[in-house]
Amino acid sequence: MTARQLWLRIGQALLVLLATYTLAFILLSALPSDAIMARYASPDLGLSSDEINAIRAEYGADKPLIVQYFTSLFGFLTGNFGYSVQTGASIASMVAEALPGTLALAISAFVLACIWALLIAVAASFSRGLRGFVLGLPSLMVSLPSFWIGIILIQLVSFKLGWVPVIGASPVQSLILPALTLSIPIAAPLAQVLVRSIEDVERQPFISVVKARGASRSRIFFGNVLRNAILPALTIAGVLFGELVGGAVVTEAVFGRAGIGQMTVNAVANRDTPVLMAVVVIAATLYVLINLLVDLLHPVLDPRVRRKERA
Amino acid sequence: MKKRAMPLSSIVLALLLGVTACGNVTQHASEAEDDIVTYLEPNFFKTLYPPSAGFYANGGVLNQVTDRLLYQDPETLELSPWIATKLPEVNEDATEYTFDIRTDVTYSDGSPLTAENVVKNFDLYGKGDKSRKLTSSEQITNYDHGEVVDEDTVRFFFSEPAPGFAQATSSFNAGLLSDATLDKDTTGFAPGKATEIIGSGPFVIEDEQMNSSLTMKAREDYDWAPAESEHQGRAYIDGIKYVLAAEESVRTGGLVSGQGDIARQIEAPVEKHLQEQGLTISSHSTNGVTNQLAFRFRDPRLSDIRVRQAIIAGIDRDEILETLFSDSYPKANSVLSSSALGYQDMSQYYVYDPDKAQRLLDEAGWVRGEDGIRSKDGQRLTLNINEALPQPRSREVITKVQEQLARIGIEITLNPGDQAAQDADSKDINKVQIRHTMVGRADYDVLKSHLHSDNRDSLLNLDEETGELGDPELEKLLEQIASSPREEDRAEASAKAQRMMAEKAYALPLFEEPQVYGVQPYLEGFEEESIGRPNFYNVRINHDRLEESQ
Repeated sequence: MTARQLWLRIGQALLVLLATYTLAFILLSALPSDAIMARYASPDLGLSSDEINAIRAEYGADKPLIVQYFTSLFGFLTGNFGYSVQTGASIASMVAEALPGTLALAISAFVLACIWALLIAVAASFSRGLRGFVLGLPSLMVSLPSFWIGIILIQLVSFKLGWVPVIGASPVQSLILPALTLSIPIAAPLAQVLVRSIEDVERQPFISVVKARGASRSRIFFGNVLRNAILPALTIAGVLFGELVGGAVVTEAVFGRAGIGQMTVNAVANRDTPVLMAVVVIAATLYVLINLLVDLLHPVLDPRVRRKERA
Repeated sequence: MKKRAMPLSSIVLALLLGVTACGNVTQHASEAEDDIVTYLEPNFFKTLYPPSAGFYANGGVLNQVTDRLLYQDPETLELSPWIATKLPEVNEDATEYTFDIRTDVTYSDGSPLTAENVVKNFDLYGKGDKSRKLTSSEQITNYDHGEVVDEDTVRFFFSEPAPGFAQATSSFNAGLLSDATLDKDTTGFAPGKATEIIGSGPFVIEDEQMNSSLTMKAREDYDWAPAESEHQGRAYIDGIKYVLAAEESVRTGGLVSGQGDIARQIEAPVEKHLQEQGLTISSHSTNGVTNQLAFRFRDPRLSDIRVRQAIIAGIDRDEILETLFSDSYPKANSVLSSSALGYQDMSQYYVYDPDKAQRLLDEAGWVRGEDGIRSKDGQRLTLNINEALPQPRSREVITKVQEQLARIGIEITLNPGDQAAQDADSKDINKVQIRHTMVGRADYDVLKSHLHSDNRDSLLNLDEETGELGDPELEKLLEQIASSPREEDRAEASAKAQRMMAEKAYALPLFEEPQVYGVQPYLEGFEEESIGRPNFYNVRINHDRLEESQ
């Protein structure tokens, strides 16, 4: 990728972020009720309409939408994420607390998902007898809802077998079951794409040539087939990041893990627009970054792309 | 071929062994070297600002870390001294309250609890501070100002009689906080700042994992428990680990597997299962307005008393309670709980009689259509009920009501949406005509909180567009409850209001809503305060029973 292309991609990424931000702002504003009503009109407080209106004015919620949009956009551009309306917590500190946990979960789930996908692909290629069963696994895995896997794992592995605690667990222990839960539906499409592209590569003429030169089956598989087959899987991995964020929402809620997912659930339930805007921006930034990274990795892994670029 | 499949199974086996290597790490939650009780909460706290802390999870924290001027016995609801050395002196029209306070109390940051500090607390709770986005307390009405009389005496002044004030000082919504804590704005009471909330209570917040867990430690020098309490001095346990476990299956599974010691919000169908596993079910009434359906009588369909009476006669509460609930949920006989102050039995007005219901609707001119639903002048008898998300099994209750009222020709729809949508829609009579709700507070004032147009206005008595009241007589009675200086007058006004609610068929009380906890058998002394929030001060771990349970 040339420097010009790189700048172009970064420019595109910034445009995507702005568009996402604007769209999210419009959609959230269109929802009935808002964060201030959600907090201060709650029957728990028993406030009168006059008192609620005074608080609305204090928050600037009575200003025109366009003014609120630019105020909030300016805040984000200057690094001031503001405060959660629901709780009053600083959004920067909420993100700082939540992001590491979610990243740890997403990364470990992703690594696990890659392992499952590789195992399935290897098993499908090497064990012809079980091939039908193995090929059916991704469809099964993708149809299992995360919350169900989570609850089953908690009940079985933690409460029944007592292998790992869910309540009062250490940071590492508390990662095991959620990562496992999240990895299963992510592994499914990865495995499917990998198996398909292994089949495609195995049919390529250069594989016959390598075979004819007497290379062993495993050498051909790991040295030639897998290396070529991994590119489409890498592309889909970038797309799957979105699934990881979505899956984290459910997984964190089920396991009571603090993280971006749980923060999103609470913010949605309370119409906490400033928090949701922060979540949207973080998710979109990560998504854009991961896809940029995938694009940059392509030439590294595939010499053909490198050559094309040079030409 | 089979041989080549081995790597896969070996890796899976290795992974499983890896997990097993962490194996058997679970132990009884309170088994650690200190007596720490693990408390499983379905929600994380949202704010620790006392006047806004009505939400269960907030009260569950504040009740452990703050003391109050007076103590309210959760069973008898009688008030007795706590930080105040005796009950307050009240002037004749209940506009001046004078408290003598202890002078030996300190906050957990070492600062003394002084008369100035007590006044500072109530000046904030009574009036709020909009510039800091801190609201006033719903329970402290007509507050004017506080004054320091001398080192151990404070006096509070009210613009109108405020007979509910003494009880209000006993609630966790009036938990006393240090000067530094009172200087914070709304962000200072938010999640992430819990360790900075300084009270004088038996526990101190030591650590917070935002939106995940809180650790509270017993305060070693705590020596000012309510005078009525047999137990004085430090709490028996060393601390509380407050853990978020939003999923009900995680809370109950956590109890059964011994990973948790106490869990809040145990649903009725699970109670029996937990008891079979040897756990104790502890339930406590919330001592206020019962779980009920409040009819917005300004709606054209509900403005006819016969329609409201028909709904009451058409709902079989026994069937609802037997199908959905347990013994922890007693049938309600009034808009107030039987244990609430001022309760009057009005059960004769709430009798299931489907024939009467049909007759009333016929008389009112509602005729059954082809699908069985009645209509009149081209308008269908369709009414929308909000889903009361914080209340137990609201959706299931409404589904049962739907089924029962369909039999007499009334169509019930469930208002969709999350908490924010439900709150917003519930303020609009065109969207929600029947409000499913309850209010917990152990004072006569609770009826005013529930119904007055300045408070929750559950019946939407006030038409915000015209500023007119649908029933000014009811509003007047509520004001009498909240501002009559003499207790007898308050009780009488409360009785009249309950009778009016029953005679005018303004609401159908369903059950007396409890807070239900699952408790390990080795925990002793677990109690709830007067509206069901947990109190850990008297909790102790019976180590013999703990060993037995393993």
